[in-house]
Order: sequence, then C-alpha cells, then structure tokens
Amino acid sequence: MSGLLELRDLSVHYRSARGEVTAVRSVSLGLESGQTLGLAGESGCGKSTVAMSVLRLLPRTARVEGQVLLDGEDVQGMTWGRLRAVRWAAASVVFQGAMHALNPVHRVGEQIAEPMRLHGVSGSVSALLDQVELPARAARAYPHELSGGQKQRVMIAMALACEPRLVIADEPTTALDVVVQAQVLAVLKRLVTERGIGLVMISHDLSVLASTCDRLAVMRHGQVVEEGPARQVIASPTHPHTQALAAAFPTVGDPASRHVTPSEVAPDGPVLLRAEGVRVDFGATRAVAGVDLEVRQGEIVALVGQSGSGKTTLARTLLGLQKPTAGRVLFEGRELPRSASGLRAYRRQVQLVLQDPTSALNPRHSVYEAVAEGLRIHRVQGDEAARVAEALSQAELRPPELFFPSLPHELSGGQRQRVVIAGALALGPRLLVADEPVASLDASVRGEILALLLRLRRELDLAALVITHDLGLAWTIADRVAVMYRGELVEQGTVEQVLLSPRHDYTRTLLAAVPHDQRSTRPNWTSSP
Amino acid sequence: MIRHLAGKVGGALVSLLFVVALGFLLFRVIPGDPVVAMTRGRPVTGDQLAELRARLGVDKPLTEQFVDYLAAAVRGDFGTSYVYSRPVLELIGERLWPTVLLTGTSTVLAVVIGLWLGIRGAWRRGSRSDRISTGLALAQWAMPTFWLGMLLSLATGDLFPSGGMRYPDTPPDFLSQSLDVAHHMVLPCLTMIAVVYAQYLLVMRSSLLEEMHADYLTTARAKGLRDDLVRRRHAVPNALLPTVTLVFLHLGLVVSGAITVETVFSWPGLGLLTYEALTGPDLPLLQGTFVVLAGAVITMNVFADLLYRVLDPRVRAS
Amino acid sequence: MTAIAWQRRRAAAGATWREFASQRGGLVGLVGLAVITLLALLAPWVTDASGLDVTRVTARPWEPPSSTYWLGTDHNGRSVLLLTWWGTRISLVVGLAATVLSVLIGTVVGIAAAHFGGWVSAVLMRFTDFFLVLPSLVLAIALSTVLPRGLGTIVLAIGVTAWPATARLVRAQTLAVEARPFIERARALGGGHGHVIGRHVLPAVLPLVFVNTTLTVASAIVAESTLSFLGLGDPTRVSWGSLLHAANMHGAVSQRAWWFLVPPGLGVVCVVLAFTLCGRALETVLNPRLKGER
Repeated sequence: MSGLLELRDLSVHYRSARGEVTAVRSVSLGLESGQTLGLAGESGCGKSTVAMSVLRLLPRTARVEGQVLLDGEDVQGMTWGRLRAVRWAAASVVFQGAMHALNPVHRVGEQIAEPMRLHGVSGSVSALLDQVELPARAARAYPHELSGGQKQRVMIAMALACEPRLVIADEPTTALDVVVQAQVLAVLKRLVTERGIGLVMISHDLSVLASTCDRLAVMRHGQVVEEGPARQVIASPTHPHTQALAAAFPTVGDPASRHVTPSEVAPDGPVLLRAEGVRVDFGATRAVAGVDLEVRQGEIVALVGQSGSGKTTLARTLLGLQKPTAGRVLFEGRELPRSASGLRAYRRQVQLVLQDPTSALNPRHSVYEAVAEGLRIHRVQGDEAARVAEALSQAELRPPELFFPSLPHELSGGQRQRVVIAGALALGPRLLVADEPVASLDASVRGEILALLLRLRRELDLAALVITHDLGLAWTIADRVAVMYRGELVEQGTVEQVLLSPRHDYTRTLLAAVPHDQRSTRPNWTSSP
Repeated sequence: MIRHLAGKVGGALVSLLFVVALGFLLFRVIPGDPVVAMTRGRPVTGDQLAELRARLGVDKPLTEQFVDYLAAAVRGDFGTSYVYSRPVLELIGERLWPTVLLTGTSTVLAVVIGLWLGIRGAWRRGSRSDRISTGLALAQWAMPTFWLGMLLSLATGDLFPSGGMRYPDTPPDFLSQSLDVAHHMVLPCLTMIAVVYAQYLLVMRSSLLEEMHADYLTTARAKGLRDDLVRRRHAVPNALLPTVTLVFLHLGLVVSGAITVETVFSWPGLGLLTYEALTGPDLPLLQGTFVVLAGAVITMNVFADLLYRVLDPRVRAS
Repeated sequence: MTAIAWQRRRAAAGATWREFASQRGGLVGLVGLAVITLLALLAPWVTDASGLDVTRVTARPWEPPSSTYWLGTDHNGRSVLLLTWWGTRISLVVGLAATVLSVLIGTVVGIAAAHFGGWVSAVLMRFTDFFLVLPSLVLAIALSTVLPRGLGTIVLAIGVTAWPATARLVRAQTLAVEARPFIERARALGGGHGHVIGRHVLPAVLPLVFVNTTLTVASAIVAESTLSFLGLGDPTRVSWGSLLHAANMHGAVSQRAWWFLVPPGLGVVCVVLAFTLCGRALETVLNPRLKGER
C-alpha cells in the first residue's frame, strides 16, 4: 500500500569538521490522507531533519539515504524542475518560528499569494485568511505588525495556499501562549477534518500532540523508539524515554502528577516576603497594577500568567532590581532598603534563578567562578572552595570538584540549571525567586530540577516563588497559586482551590486552553472560555 | 512620520549648529590671535595691529565674538579669504559645482559597481571570482587615494590631461565644452571609483551573507522558487536596506577622497580649495570649507535616514 | 583555583591561535607585519642615517634605479630606498599611537554609553553620532592646520577623529552582553557597576576591541599618509606620506620618476593590507558566524 507520505529506512548524515554525524537513523513512517501523525522528541533528536528531508530542504552538507515517497514518488530521485513543482503544491511546511520564517519586508498577503502565482493556482488570499480566522485586511500587514499567534496563522494560511495534500507543521505552537496555542491547534485540527489533508505535526510537547494526533512516533537520538496510536502511546508508554516525556507534562487534577503532600504545607509559618499594593509603571504603561502577595517560610508559591501579564516585572521588583512606582515590599516585616549596600545585603537573603541556564551563565566563566561569584561580591570570609563544593553538592552535582573547571557549554541543560541554583545557594538565601525554571529544559530533565527544588525546601526550609506560564508546573510543586492577568492578581489560594475550582473567568480560560489527553478524567470545573 | 521628520530635521539643525560652533572653536579659539598669524614676517606697528584687530572684531571678548560669528554664519557670511581677498562664500559657490560633478559621478558609478560585485561575491562565496574580487577590493581599500591618482597619471602618460577641468582654447559651444570636461574628468573619476567601490562591495557582500542564513529564504525555497528568484525577490532587497545607510555613512570617505584627488589633479573644486586654504593657512577660507563639507555630509545623512524609512517597512511603522 | 583558570586560558589562547593560523590570509598578514616591524626596528643599525641629510648628499637628483641606488634618488639626490625604509618608522609609530588613543576613547565612550543608560547614554550617543557622520579627514585637516606641526599633533588629529566607529561598535557589543541574563544574575547576586563591567562586560568586549584595533591601525596609517601628503605632517621627519608630498610638489609625475612614487605608496599598501588581513582573520576566529565565508 502506498500512502500519502512514506519514509522508508530514512537516514540523514551531516558532514562536519569532525567527520560525519548521523542525525536520523533508519526511520520508517507512513501517513494517509485525513490523518495526523505526531513526531515527538527533545531538541536535537532529529525530528526537524526528518521534516526538512521531505521537501529536500536540507543544507548541502547533508547526505540522505533511504526513500522519501510522496504519493508514491521518490523525492530523492526528482529532477530540480519536478521538485520545484512538487514543493508547496503537493506538500507544504509550517515552519518553526513564524517570526523568522516570514520575509520581514514583504506584506503577508504578497507572501501568501507568491506560491499561488508561482504554481499557477487560482484562489483568494482573503479566503485563506478567513480559514485561519484572520480578517482580510491582515493581508496588507507586514509581519512585525502581527502578534505571534497571528503570524503563525499566516504561516498556516500560506501553507494551504496551493491546496497541498500534505502539510508538515514543525513546532507550530512553540513560543505561543497557552490560550493562543489552543486556538492555533484548533485551526489545524479543523483543517484536517474539513479538507482531508494529511498533517505531520512535530513537537517536543507531548500534550500538544496528544490532543491533535491519531498516531504518534517518539524519536530519540535520530531513531524512532516508540510508535503507535496516540492514545495508546500516551496512556501506556512502553519505552522509558516516552515515559519520561509523558511524566514531564503533568495533567492538572491528576493526583499522580502532584508531588507535594499536604502535610508538607505549613499554612501558618512566619511571613518571609510581603508585597503591599506594589505598582510599577513604565512611562504610560502599567506593568504591575497594585499587587498584594505573601510568601511564607518554606512555602512554594506559583505566580501564573501569560507573557506580558507583568509577572516578571513583579519578580524583579520583589528582588529589588526594579523600584516600585507605588506600594512597598517587606522582607521579614522590614521594608526593602534603598541604599546600594542595604540592597546588597538583602540580596543574600533572596536569590534569583533564571529561565534559561545557558544564557544565565557567563560562557567564559567556569562552574567554580560562577558559583563563587556571589561569595566574592559579598566578600564572604572563610574557605571559598569548601562553600562552592557544598553548594554544588546541595544542587546534586557530585562530586563537586569534578565540575569546578567545567565551562557551561560542556554541561547539559539540566546540569547548567543546577549550577545556577548552586550559585544562588552558596549565599545561603531564605527565598528563591525562580523565573520559569524549567521552561527551556528538555522534558526529561524537568522532573529532576523540580524534585531538587522540593528537596531543598524540605532540607533547607527554603521558600520559593516560582514564576510560570505552565499550570501543570504549578500543579506539580506549588503550595499556593497566584494568577496574574494584566498586572493584577485576579485569584490566589491553595493549588487545589485555584486549579480545581477556579472562581475567576481568566483562570478558567487558562485551564481550558491546556491541551488534554485521555489519561485522566477532567476535574470538575466548568469550561467557559 | 511627520513627527519623526521634524525630529530628524531638528536633530540635523542642532548638528549643523554644532559644526558651526566647532568651526569657531577650531579656527578662532585654538590658533590664538589671528592678527599675529596674518602679519607674521611683515613689519607692522602697534597701531596697525590694533586697527586690524578692531576691523576683524577680535578685540572683543570671546563670547561676544562667538555671537557675532553665529549671526554672520546664519547670514552666510564666513568672512573674507586672506589669500584671495574675496568673500569666502563666493569662493565656495564657484567651486561647489565641479566637486558635485566629480563626486556625484564617481559615487553613483562606485555604488553600482560595488553593489553588483558584492551581490555576485556573496552568492558565489568562496568561488574563484569571489576570492579575486574580494582580494582586489581589500587591496584597493588599502591604497591611499592620491597615490593611486598619481600612479594612474604616470601610467597613462599624455592620454588624458593631468590637471585642471578644461583647456583654455576649447571652443565655447556646449558640446565641445562638455567633452573637454569629460576628458579631464576621466582620471580623477577613475581614481575615486577605484577606492570607494571597495567599501560598497565589502559591505554589500557581508550584508547579503548575513541575510542568506535567514529562515525566510528556506520558506521561499520550500515554496518552489528558483534559486535566482529567491535571490532577486527575497535576499537582495533585504540585504540592500542596511547597505543604503552605510553608503551614506561612508560619504565622509567620498569627501576625503575628493580633497586628495582634486589636489592631485588640480580639479578646481572644494577639495582643491581646502588644500589651498590649508597651505596658506587661510583660516577663514578653511573654516568655510570645513563648515560646508561637514554640513553637506550631515544633510545627506538626514536624507539617508528618511530614504531608509521609506524603503524599510519595519522602521516605517515604529 | 587560579591555576586551573590560567591553564584554561592558555588552552583557549592555543585554540584561537590554531584557528587563526588555519587562515592563509591572516598568516600572510602576520608574517608581513613581523617583517616590516623588524625592518623598522633595525633601520638605525643596518643603514646609515646620514644619508637622510640633504646637505650631505653625493648623488644627482632624480637618478633612476641603479646598482648603487636600488630605488634611484629623489629631487635632492637622496636614496629613495633609504627614505622609504626610514619612513616605515614614522608611519608605524603614528599609526599605532593614534590607534591607541582612538580605541581608548572609543571603548570608554562606548561602554559608558551602553552601561549607564539614561541621559548619560543619550548625550554620549548623540555626541558619537555627530562625530560619526562628520568627515574625519576634514576635521583632522582643520586640527592639524591650527595646531603647531609635529608628531603629537598628527597623532592627536587622527586619534580624536577616528574613535566614533569604535565607540559605536563597543556600545552595540556592550548592549548585547548586558541584555544577556547572566548580567541580571550578577545584579541579583548583588554585583555593582564595577563588578558587572569588570567581570562580564570588559572580557566580552575586549576581543572585539582587539580586532577593531588592528583594523583601525590600517586606516590610521592611511590617514597619516594623507595628512602628510597634504603637507600637514612633521616637517622634520620622513614618513611615507611626506615622501609622496615631496614627490607631488616637485613634479615626480611629470619627471616620470616612478621610482620615487611607487615605493612609499607600496609601503602604505603593504602595511595596511597586512593589518587588514590580520584583523579580518581575527574577526573570523572570534565571530563564529562568519566562519567559512571569507
């Protein structure tokens, strides 16, 4: 049987200075019209290379073995002219990162119409825009005038321009907010059912694939480690890598993915940090509009919101990196000092863990230097090497001496985040402010870092304010949740209160937007976005 | 857009004022008493000196002199040349057009040649023709303009006139005059092009190379565009945008080239006038050419900025 | 710990060197520079400086190259080879000194403009932009006309007109570095201005400054030759520019005295090209995005 797309024993090797690197190893997959195939895996597993090989878009350094059959015709054997005719007309791509995949100086209407003109297909741009729920006037916009979600829809409209039978979507929703992500996924799903196209969907996020795909293939190190019906792969994964991926995207309401036992929460501990009516204005824009928030000793509070909700600005204000326009921040009942030296002393108590450990570490500084940086700034007396070693072992980098001379690029993502945490721990803080601590980490290491945060809380009585857009993360580790929307806290309370019986409409919208799979029954909240 | 325009023009006016003030600092404050310089080597009495000072207005306090100077500069009065004993502005007016003709012609040609070679080089990077054109551009960039001019003059012998703008005995009709000027212009023009085009080539080449990594080119290829269409429609127009600004930013280089080339070929333009002024030294004249040359470059840069706004939608909107 | 740090730095320097050495252009430039510098340093020992004195010449003026005078003689009968050789010294010294001055100003202004923000940055940027568009040669001519002639003047004139490009580059790089989260982390750890600039910004900016320096030397040497050619150099010393000035003044072109014109200009071209090749090779090593494209 020859389907719409068939990969037969596909391998891709890249020539590099250090010899040949194999990116894809004997991958065989098939797809029928009207079906959606999910391709899951962490960064660097070869899933994008597979996508690019379908239209022969790989760089010149790539060497391809095996067959890519599009409607039974081998793409590798096509002449340039035939290949150009097939590109976009038979199969099109929704590229990763619409921001860069669109030409910044052409109107999007022109860009959508370009393949239509080229392949002699008749059709109207406004009809295409209508299909992705964009107004016709969007055609006159330049890419930078559109939001991330709108650009992604333009990419989808462009992919549909020549009515291809196959669409390949490479991380179509990465970098989008949950609410927008849900909308874009809905558009894609509708197009598959209405037009009967075949869709290959590539993502690192298993929950995205679970909600859209019929079949699912999980890739690791260039190989497919598990393949089958999506429902089955997610509900009962057989390969350990699939299990790790599935565990990294917890389901809100599923007791199995909640790692906090109620006994751990101490509701009446002393208040460590308190924000009272904090407001931050940047010129005419109000980033934070009067926020009251408390973090108690040993408590993990999740601050949840979409990008642009003001949550990062609030965090910077709590750290004293940003002066509030109005209101005040108290630490152990005392207002934050305003003098440079007073602030410096305060920063020994409250430490920051940033989102992306790769950029949070100076690439030129060794692990030792990075961890000792705080000690040196504060001129901490005593044995520096011993303190660094202790902090590293607290962050579970053992034996610490082994890591001293390493540079950040020699470490894995998870190890880097541990170094950042160790750098914070070296100063013996009472509170960690963690801004999206796992968002840029591969799925399989997320769980480890979250477990580390929980262990630090248990052993060092460390409090944490975790800033995230991910409700699943809040469900996994937080004691209390505060939901931020347009600079205000619209709802706060214990995790169970807020996530299982939300009172505010916005919280409900957020929860409704989280992709669902079929592992667990839905919690009892009413979805009314 | 209007507000931006007003802001840019305002900024340029401030810059122009700054140039005029810099002229005062350079030519009135740093050199000290101009009368001493003017009368050096000539026997003069104290009375004569005092009278000269009063006539030039340099007996007043510096602040008052500055106000007088500004007022005069606004009226376009830059004083009188020591050497020519004529108003500076009149001299500059006479010499302006030969310079505009020479720099204009050579800049346009240099831009066309430079951009074309730059695009070719970037698209076929690493090829023999790319390596040769880049290497040649680097070598030409390393050459002092005036040296190249002298070498050309030496090499061509009597083929082209080695100086001036026209022969005195050319018939006065338009055609003969134009041909004569064109004949005189060949060598200075070649010299300027040779040195200036290299800049444009290197800038265009690296700008296009940068653009060639862009993801939207993969999109264009995926749509089924032929390689030359990908280049013509997507890569080159986008790479041209930053080059436009750089072309104008390098106008100072053209001005420098004009000074030395006109000196070598005795082309009667502002560059040669600057050279005559600095050999004097004829400070009022040098001050005049300084303000005019600097002012011209600043004005051109404002145009460049506005042009860029028109061309690039990303900047236009913000 | 410092031992480890030093070991690592040595390894990094070794890697940089190997990558630099793999580029033919850069290597050619470096060898060229070494030879020229050696020649310039050796001049007082290998040659007889008295040949530079006009009052002690023995040869006839405008003599074409011969076995005694390999590159002929100038309008005074001095050996062009000797003059060009000695000219190397002044051209190099002026080029280097002016570059040091200009890079120093540019780096300080650039870092300050990017780091402190607010009105300091606005004023400094406005200032830089103003000098950036100002034709630098015109300003240098004005400066060296009104100041007393001499080496110091010409260094100053080039140095204070060439810095804006460096300042803009350094500013852009500083902004790029300061936008990185590790700066935020350093601030959250309690680091002040000194710590952020000293430990994070400077180490990241310096390689770029170094590349920029090599390229600035090239343009400073051209600027020196131009100013000297216009007669604004130090009248008591021989430089390549002043030789060409003399050639122009005394009609070397109409005399067809190519031997007086070619060597000094070729000197400028060689040195400038050598610096440029080195600079571009370094740029490629330090900016991985350019790799394999030049």
